[in-house]
Amino acid sequence: MFKLIWRNLMRNKRRTTLTVLSIGIALVLLSFLQLVLAAMSGAESAAANRLVVRNAISLTFNLPAAYEQRLQTLEHVRGITSLNWFQGRYIDNRPENMFPRFGTNPDTLFTVFPEMLISPEQVQAWRSERTAFIAGRTLVEEQGWELGDVITVQGDIYPVDLELTLRGIYTRPDDPAQERMLYFDWQYVEEALDNPGSIGMYYLLLDSPDYMNETITQAEAMFENSPDQVRAETEEAFYLSFLEMLGNVQFLFNAIGLAVIASIFFITVNTMAMASRERTTEVAVLRTLGFSKPKVLGIVLFESLGVGLLGAVFGAAIIPIVTSTLTSFLASQGIVFTALRITAQTLSLVLGIGILLGLAAGLVPALQAVNMKIVDGLRRVA
Amino acid sequence: MAEELVRVTDVKKNYRRDDFDIKVLAGVTLVIDEGEFVALMGPSGSGKSTLLNLLAGIDRPTAGRIEVAGQELGALSDSQLARWRHRSIGFIFQFYHLIPVLTAFENVELPLTLTKLSRAERRRKAEVALQVVGLEDRMDHYPRQLSGGQEQRVAIARAVVTDPTLVLADEPTGDLDADSANEILDLLSQLNEEFSKTIIMVTHDPRAAVRASRELHLDKGQLTAEPAAV
Repeated sequence: MFKLIWRNLMRNKRRTTLTVLSIGIALVLLSFLQLVLAAMSGAESAAANRLVVRNAISLTFNLPAAYEQRLQTLEHVRGITSLNWFQGRYIDNRPENMFPRFGTNPDTLFTVFPEMLISPEQVQAWRSERTAFIAGRTLVEEQGWELGDVITVQGDIYPVDLELTLRGIYTRPDDPAQERMLYFDWQYVEEALDNPGSIGMYYLLLDSPDYMNETITQAEAMFENSPDQVRAETEEAFYLSFLEMLGNVQFLFNAIGLAVIASIFFITVNTMAMASRERTTEVAVLRTLGFSKPKVLGIVLFESLGVGLLGAVFGAAIIPIVTSTLTSFLASQGIVFTALRITAQTLSLVLGIGILLGLAAGLVPALQAVNMKIVDGLRRVA
Repeated sequence: MAEELVRVTDVKKNYRRDDFDIKVLAGVTLVIDEGEFVALMGPSGSGKSTLLNLLAGIDRPTAGRIEVAGQELGALSDSQLARWRHRSIGFIFQFYHLIPVLTAFENVELPLTLTKLSRAERRRKAEVALQVVGLEDRMDHYPRQLSGGQEQRVAIARAVVTDPTLVLADEPTGDLDADSANEILDLLSQLNEEFSKTIIMVTHDPRAAVRASRELHLDKGQLTAEPAAV
């Protein structure tokens, strides 16, 4: 039976190939859009037991540095560190020179982000030198830096020009896309600005994700009557809130993705209908030979499923190439993504949609084939 | 004495085309015994193929009763009818209707894929059927690589490979040259005489009809004693 399905699939090679290519390319486009959305949110790199505490008004308002000690007293908080978006300008505004630059606490960063891997000697070197910085391996390779190199970052949000020396290179095997960042000691900025005691965000690592809701409530309650109230949320929710700011973009991307899938669906339906119509007599012959309606339905559906599956496999195979090419192209246009990650979920999405597309596209021709009267099918001599 | 195999009782068949009700069969009654080779003749539109389709269970009568080997076809559901066709009927089409993407062997094996036979048993049966029709050396050929006569022989092998109770042939020589037509008729005679297959053959051709043991004539949807005047 599978021999018949496969041979039918290969009967019109050009048509099958073109349909498979169309499905594959549509699925690649859809998954690329989803990857971009995921990268925009950064949610994929979020840990389940980390939460973010920031100013309740908005991200552009900082929190007092003194909050750190108080937050530390919350039950179930295993570690706390701060992250401050410095922004600034490195060399120029070309895409390759635009990467995230964070001021942090070198003593606590690795407690809260244990997934960042770096040698103890390099950590020690960073901690012992106020103007030292560390960077992810990808960024170091892109910039051609070496340990001991000195770089200058001109301040814009903060009126401080930083002269930083590379003392460490970290890796993130769990999420290599996170290796395109720079971290320096926030005390450098604090001292340059006469210690205003201002912190962008606190990251808290909890003993377990089970304590998340409880800790969020406690953290917000702790500063309820303070001039600087806080908003506490899971790391994932924090990243997703960026996506909410891009609400229209998300809608647009999803709309484009849906439009692409809808159009490819109709193309596939048409292809399968043509293939089925050409074989009306053969279907009638099969039924004359004793093939039951479910069997004929299965033959047509499996053929259509084959088209969808081949398209999905083709799409899944070229996603890495297309993603890499498009990322480079977008970077050359000034749109830089640090976290485009092709995951098992991405590939499952592609395969799942391919299978659904194939089955849905084959359903109408399959039903037509089984509901056709045998004698009518036999009358249509090709 | 031969046993009765087919009994058709007052069978009528009407088709609806747009607003018109077309009467194709107007009360046909007949009996065919086991081992008979019957030629069903008549002018175009007389209802020959319609009657054959009803006997094959690929169409249902508007009225009347059809029994084949004691089975009343009207009592069967669509899926039961499909199983019954597979077990009981071998159908030979005028235009062969082989599946073009399958080889001669695979076409003959096709009905056997619906059985629980092992691959080896299917292979053996398909090879025997192809030997009977003299095409054992063309097993791996696709239909496009065969002549019309050879294609029809493959179609005959496909029709008999399941050892059906009844073989139905709808103008099996209608698309063939005289030599090929004779070969096919020889083969059908052989199936009837050597393998005791009951055959009902629709034909226009009097030369084909004389190979049968009995002729039935249809005219305007009714059986007649003599050929209709042309």
